[in-house]
Amino acid sequence: MIGHAERIWLILIGLTLVGIFFAETGHAGWLLTMTVATLIIVKSNFVIDYYMDMRSANKRIRNILRFFTIIIPVLVILVHAWGDEIRQLTSVF
Amino acid sequence: MSINTLSSSLISNESIPIEDKTEIPFEDRIPGNRGIWVGIFCVLLEFFFLFGVYLVAKVHHPEAFSTGPDKLVTIAGTTITLLLLTSGYCMVKAINAIKDDQRTASVRWIILAILLGLGYPIVKYFEINWNIEHGVDAEAGIFYTVYYYLTLTHLVHVFWGLLGLIFVATCTNMGIYSSKNYSGIEAAAVYWHTTDIIWLVIFPFFYILR
Repeated sequence: MIGHAERIWLILIGLTLVGIFFAETGHAGWLLTMTVATLIIVKSNFVIDYYMDMRSANKRIRNILRFFTIIIPVLVILVHAWGDEIRQLTSVF
Repeated sequence: MSINTLSSSLISNESIPIEDKTEIPFEDRIPGNRGIWVGIFCVLLEFFFLFGVYLVAKVHHPEAFSTGPDKLVTIAGTTITLLLLTSGYCMVKAINAIKDDQRTASVRWIILAILLGLGYPIVKYFEINWNIEHGVDAEAGIFYTVYYYLTLTHLVHVFWGLLGLIFVATCTNMGIYSSKNYSGIEAAAVYWHTTDIIWLVIFPFFYILR
């Protein structure tokens, strides 16, 4: 019988394979960027909630972890959307 | 995070017996102990800046980052992801076992987690060899420079995590942890899961995003 931990493990493996499928079938651009950003958020939060068991843990620690897993994908989307503007902002000369 | 910080977190005097933990408001529970979280937040901050470097390099060299993943071995990255996720699952089972005072089962799950974790440097070794044979070294372009810097930094943190797991496996086998005090195992596990989370970002950055 498949328990709770096994279900979470299967979901994480499944989501990993979904990401690879998208990349290997030639998807690129917005669709791939949004898929990757969503998968990072979903998978990381599965690890936080179920592997680390943070659902019932200190809220401040949990929020810092969640912030990390959300800010990075958001930055990926911003870079995809406004790459030229960010390039100018981050140019030294 | 230094090995001293990690090891002191695993044998910290902050270890609170489970009876005492029930007196702490439930939502204030700290998995492991405070020391390990200081280390974890340092690691997260370090990788936050490294991911910033990746993104800035990407906007300045979009072509290199668009074609870069084509020369990397996707199956190697995929295998590392599966190894780390499965190793993390083993640590969940190890904690569940020690909560039920099943010490032997807990030790076995931790050893399995270690063995799967050791698969990471082995896969990385073959991947880097393959890369070098195909001209993909750190000087092959900006994408590969960032790739080597980020993945090898992550590998160093995985080594600390593995040393932590070996330590808690030994302690569990010696009967130091039980259902009343397992914060050391939990501390090693949350650090191990943090390396999982960081890899879940690294993997699509270098092997999937185009």
